[in-house]
Amino acid sequence: MTIVLILGALFLLLLARVPVAFALGGMGLGMLLAGGFSPLMAPQAILSTLDGFILLAVPLFLLMSNVLLKGGVGRDLFAAVQAWVGHWPGGLAVATILSCGIFAAISGSSVATAATIGTVAIPEMLARGYEKRFVYGLLAAGGTLGILIPPSIPMIVYGFVTEESVIALFLAGIGPGLALLGLFIVFSMAHAAARGMGRAQAATWSERRHASIRALPSLALAVIVIGVIYTGAATPTEAAAIGFAAALVITGVILRTLNWESFREAAMESMATTVAILLIVAGAKVFGKAIALYRLPQEISAFIGEVIHTPLAFVAVVAIVLLIMGLVFEALSMVLIMTPVLLPAAVGLGLDPIWFGIFMVIMVECALITPPVGLNLYVIQAVARASMGEVARGVIPFLLLMFVTVILLYAWPDLALYIPFKL
Amino acid sequence: MAPFAQLVTLLARIAAALFVASGAMLTYEVIARYFFTAPTIWAAELSQLCLIWGSLLAMAWCLRERRHIRITAVTGLLPLRGRLVAEAGAMLAVAAFSALVAWKGFEIFWVSFERGRTTGSMLDLPIWIAEFAIPFGFAVLVVQALIEALRVMRGDLPAEGAQRE
Repeated sequence: MTIVLILGALFLLLLARVPVAFALGGMGLGMLLAGGFSPLMAPQAILSTLDGFILLAVPLFLLMSNVLLKGGVGRDLFAAVQAWVGHWPGGLAVATILSCGIFAAISGSSVATAATIGTVAIPEMLARGYEKRFVYGLLAAGGTLGILIPPSIPMIVYGFVTEESVIALFLAGIGPGLALLGLFIVFSMAHAAARGMGRAQAATWSERRHASIRALPSLALAVIVIGVIYTGAATPTEAAAIGFAAALVITGVILRTLNWESFREAAMESMATTVAILLIVAGAKVFGKAIALYRLPQEISAFIGEVIHTPLAFVAVVAIVLLIMGLVFEALSMVLIMTPVLLPAAVGLGLDPIWFGIFMVIMVECALITPPVGLNLYVIQAVARASMGEVARGVIPFLLLMFVTVILLYAWPDLALYIPFKL
Repeated sequence: MAPFAQLVTLLARIAAALFVASGAMLTYEVIARYFFTAPTIWAAELSQLCLIWGSLLAMAWCLRERRHIRITAVTGLLPLRGRLVAEAGAMLAVAAFSALVAWKGFEIFWVSFERGRTTGSMLDLPIWIAEFAIPFGFAVLVVQALIEALRVMRGDLPAEGAQRE
């Protein structure tokens, strides 16, 4: 019963526009006081969160992608991919999705991915006669690849709260990320074929060479960051720092597209996002500590154990709950509130915690594009000056493809677990 | 601009600079380790301090600019008056929480400061350097939250800042 009251009070605070970080922290602190535990645990939990080395990767990955964004790397990347696949059926759509996938490999954020590629791809696709709804849906959904293909900020946070390896999570995201990318591409080609879209002329070899050379540094950056993490040459946090430094060299020295003013904007933007994210993690830590002292996760786990007997039923129920929460909740808060509550039960049913993390990330991707609250919907709405309704309707087929990916992931867990554990 | 508002802006800029500095330090660390085979003893620890101080210094600015992530969809359905009441309540809740954390955080800092505790790491810095960020950051936040509550009670409801993740 306590759990219903506690979650009810928490949701009430959250819905009454208390910032998520303070709703979680305040709820936790209130529970500590009510339960006769020391309130000193609140500042301690906040400090120990910010003292986590892995979380230092958050501002650094954000700096890296914001610098690239301000340096106009999205345009070069899109032009290069377009030169290679633009003449395929639905070529422009395929180029858009591939660009999202590549940018996802240099960015840990889905919003940055949607904004970067959306800015260049949307006007071009509309000019070439693609249906509006399809274009908006494609970009909103394509942007969510940013958090499934490593690096990924939600994975860093999940790894931090569950004490699982962030490296394993990153590697586990590659398989499902590529699967989703593939599904999006096939759907785009089928959509273009069904609509009888004309095919663009193939780019000449010299055009291809020229466009590729400009995009090459950013591509190399993606490979280096993942490579460094995979080989263990540096920790994810150090890899993020190198990525940030390399992004500065690429945009400031090689391409000369970043000036002092845009660098300052990138730094302020990254700072604001970092603080917003890390404070939520800190608030969740206070809350997590409090519910652990009340032994709530164990109770929930026991309750779930009584009612649900198969992993399939558990995953299905969790997926539905997350989908409903995702209508209103912002993505990261969902991971932070639900992970400590659900993970013990998931592990009890024999689910792998890394697998469960990837599953959570895909569900979070759905939350990013389900109205009324979905950050990616807002981004595309702003970039394209479109109505919310148009964007939201366009997203539906892509949402279904995400469900397909979840089903694939359940039926064949190695889609995620092969690369980190069996390769 | 009022002096306090200027202070809050300055703290946010310092925070941004600290995050950039942590990137520079860790890049140097990797270069030093692989190219000079001389890893530093300070890069990891100092960059961690940058994260602690940076995050806590900029909290007040994030509140003023409405950059903290929150759910406005439900209160958005209310008429303006209802939104103002919810907003004022939310700001007072932030102030109350922050005051308590600042106070308890100060106790932690003071104990370490008086006893001269150190980190026991290679640099062996005093522990209070990190711990002082909590009472300082949250004290500034209390003031900012009260300013925001007053502003809202006067009928001024600022727009949400961009939320990104």
